[in-house]
Amino acid sequence: MIVVAFNYGGYAGKILQVNLSTGKITKVPLTKEQVELYLGGRGYDAKILFDNMPPNVQPLSKNSILCLSTGPLTGLLGPTTGRVNVAARSPLTGIYGNSNAGTNWGPELKYAGYDGLVITGKAKNPSYIAIEDESVQILPAKNLWGEGVYETTLALQEQHNGFETRVAACGPAAERGLLYGSVIFDLWDAAGRSGMGTVMASKNLKAVAVTGSGSLEVAQPDRYYDVVCDGWSGILNEPGFKMGEHQALGTAVCVGWGNAQGWLPTRNFRESVFEFADDISGEEFRDKFSIKDSPVPGGRACMSCPNRCKRFGKIDSGPYAGTRGNIEFEGVAAFGSKCGVRNLEAVFHAFMLANDYGMDCVTTGNMIATFMELNEEGKLSAKLAAEIDDDGMELKFGNERAMVEMVHRIANQQGELGKLGALGAWRALTKLGGQKLAEKYTSAVKGMDTIACDPRASKGFGFTFAIASRGSDHLRTHPVFEMIKLPDGVAKEMFGSAEASTLKGYGGKVEMVLYHEELAAVTDSIGSCRFMHASYYTQYPIPELLNKYRKRPRPAKDIHSVKYHDWVSAATGMKISYEKLFEIGRRIVMLERAINTQYGVRRKDDRLPRRFVEEPLPSGPAKGQKFDKKQFESMLDKYYAKRGWDKKTGLIKKQMLDKLGMDDVKKILEKRKLLGK
Amino acid sequence: MGKLVFNSELCTGCRACELACSFKHERLFSPHLARIRVVRVDEEGIDVPTGCEQCEVAACIAVCPVRAIYVDPETDGVIIDYDRCIGCKECMTACPFGAVHYNRAKGIFYKCDLCGGDPECVKWCVTGGVQYITDLDTVLQLKRTKTAERALRSIAEGASAAGAAAKGGGV
Ligand code: SF4
Ligand code: SF4
Ligand code: SF4
Repeated sequence: MIVVAFNYGGYAGKILQVNLSTGKITKVPLTKEQVELYLGGRGYDAKILFDNMPPNVQPLSKNSILCLSTGPLTGLLGPTTGRVNVAARSPLTGIYGNSNAGTNWGPELKYAGYDGLVITGKAKNPSYIAIEDESVQILPAKNLWGEGVYETTLALQEQHNGFETRVAACGPAAERGLLYGSVIFDLWDAAGRSGMGTVMASKNLKAVAVTGSGSLEVAQPDRYYDVVCDGWSGILNEPGFKMGEHQALGTAVCVGWGNAQGWLPTRNFRESVFEFADDISGEEFRDKFSIKDSPVPGGRACMSCPNRCKRFGKIDSGPYAGTRGNIEFEGVAAFGSKCGVRNLEAVFHAFMLANDYGMDCVTTGNMIATFMELNEEGKLSAKLAAEIDDDGMELKFGNERAMVEMVHRIANQQGELGKLGALGAWRALTKLGGQKLAEKYTSAVKGMDTIACDPRASKGFGFTFAIASRGSDHLRTHPVFEMIKLPDGVAKEMFGSAEASTLKGYGGKVEMVLYHEELAAVTDSIGSCRFMHASYYTQYPIPELLNKYRKRPRPAKDIHSVKYHDWVSAATGMKISYEKLFEIGRRIVMLERAINTQYGVRRKDDRLPRRFVEEPLPSGPAKGQKFDKKQFESMLDKYYAKRGWDKKTGLIKKQMLDKLGMDDVKKILEKRKLLGK
Repeated sequence: MGKLVFNSELCTGCRACELACSFKHERLFSPHLARIRVVRVDEEGIDVPTGCEQCEVAACIAVCPVRAIYVDPETDGVIIDYDRCIGCKECMTACPFGAVHYNRAKGIFYKCDLCGGDPECVKWCVTGGVQYITDLDTVLQLKRTKTAERALRSIAEGASAAGAAAKGGGV
């Protein structure tokens, strides 16, 4: 292969490789060919894993690879560009693992001169990596091992450049082998899902502290500035953004919203409305704990983000005094409605404990909720149930003391319940009572359990959970489109059916998921947030279409939108059209599928948990609904056909890889007999 | 009379101001080249924008041995004349706000020049964390209102208003 000199704008231009076994540190230039095909971040990481990690390498072995990376737009003033991507083979699911966080850490890494950090090997002793521009050191972290994320971060800031040092850390739960450890950035920003923190801890790597003082240049500064201004105007004028709820309450606004729409998972997905939703709402958090209740709703933001979805709060008195940190919706629902707990103080506390222990709040909450349900239904052995009963804390829905106690026990793997809990719901229940039990009581797909949205009440999200590349997950697509009422014309033009913007309908949902999935793959790879194109709809052509269907359309010059293709082109100097952008997205989805087929993922794995197809919702606005089995299968057929995957097996067909210029991937799959017919 | 007013109660820590400033002056994106800097204090959940206060009795002007720093009569901004600057670092150490920065690549000291009266950072701030105010009465009024608001909040929280007002002052 000829390596062409790297001269694209936006990027820092090199990847930092650290081998913790040998202590070798290498700075490798990005290759033009790879960024043209995969952009950066999530896409680039997937390629690194595919090329360098044979499928027999176990997630927690020293040969596994952990990537932390940014995209070409990270840290360049574009809206919501503080994201960072973390990827590795997941210890929780055994398949492709990956998680994304919004922080200041990612941009800092780029200012230090690196687009990404690739970690291999295993340090002999607990260590951390300190990056200060050109200087990269592997330093001892013996005194930090066993410490929580909070102490670790503060200690490293003190040791290095104070508030200007950005820290990524894993927590003690991951050190002890809990399978769903998170990587926490800047104290509260979690790359929570799929156990990336566990991979980090398995390498004896406690943290990565970064300070950078460099500069980034874009290829076409004037054009770039205009595109970015257009993008900011796009988000500031988006109807949902202008409502201001989100800025006022952060993502916790979804507690009220989800409850009203009937998709707020309650008591381990038995129900989808929570009678005490008001008690755990965003308003409640603001009134009780927010310190930033200023005239303009404050909140805190990632780098260059007008949306400021983080909510910081503190508890000053009572049993949970001392609790502090940023909350967001998923954690509130996981410890709140899913566990049936109505006391927001306990929910906030449990959430921040999980954060400090470095465990994914979603998986932790789901795990505890699952134990509660099992116990209520008499499926836990007397011995297991007694473990916690003995302390006067019966494991049942709504018992906040039991919930908080279980967070500690799982993190410390204390007792049998604690040990089981550290495996995550799917593995724990399989161990307890075989696959049958796991299928009945968990919300897991491919080993990872479901976030806070009930698929029976929201068909696009539901379908997404089944096909997402990292197990049950909404963020691979995040089709909020179905949750907001848009003019029929917009839904029809975008996805061929007005039903696409309804929760209940199935029409247009496959098209909607395909579109969202590809765009999300792109934005995760360039380093911008889901909020811009799949929560708010600021991306071209949606603002334009909304205008078209207005009673009195405004002049075109008054309509602003985020044009990702222009944005990436102006920053990097590549020529990327609207169509090409989606082709890149498709390529990334394809590559992740290729990785997963090597780990054995087939059609049988693209499924929904039993509860969602068999048990109709008992109450609320979506009462009586379930995810229709037949509909699901025909949606899957259609999705496979569009993706070019074999209908029977789910393997990728050769033609599709040819079309996307993925010859190298094709050759490897061919050799391993993993191509579809 | 022009001045940036920094308000940590309104700042979200998005740092758009930093990048906008660095791009306007250097055509590069780099917080280190920005004349406004935001200190993010994650453990307290607050963000503190900092920068030049365009002091009336400016320490940087007073200590400069070659009189390279002057007041722009148009904006009242305190400006460094790069041709005269000898790089002695006196201004940097004297500024109580850490608002004089050093550009290693170019070997010069630099600070906020109010963008000649059209501050770029302010255009990018969506919450009012940094504002441009051209008459002092408005600044004072803003500060008084803020103090009053703080007192009102304390009443709501059940604390004594007098105590809060006594704490008064800066943010
Ligand atoms: S919307 Fe929230 S997560 Fe996304 S970039 Fe903004 S503050 Fe960060
Ligand atoms: S732009 Fe405004 S809100 Fe953002 S960091 Fe600067 S002062 Fe704070
Ligand atoms: S007024 Fe101009 S020079 Fe001063 S901090 Fe703002 S953008 Fe920078």
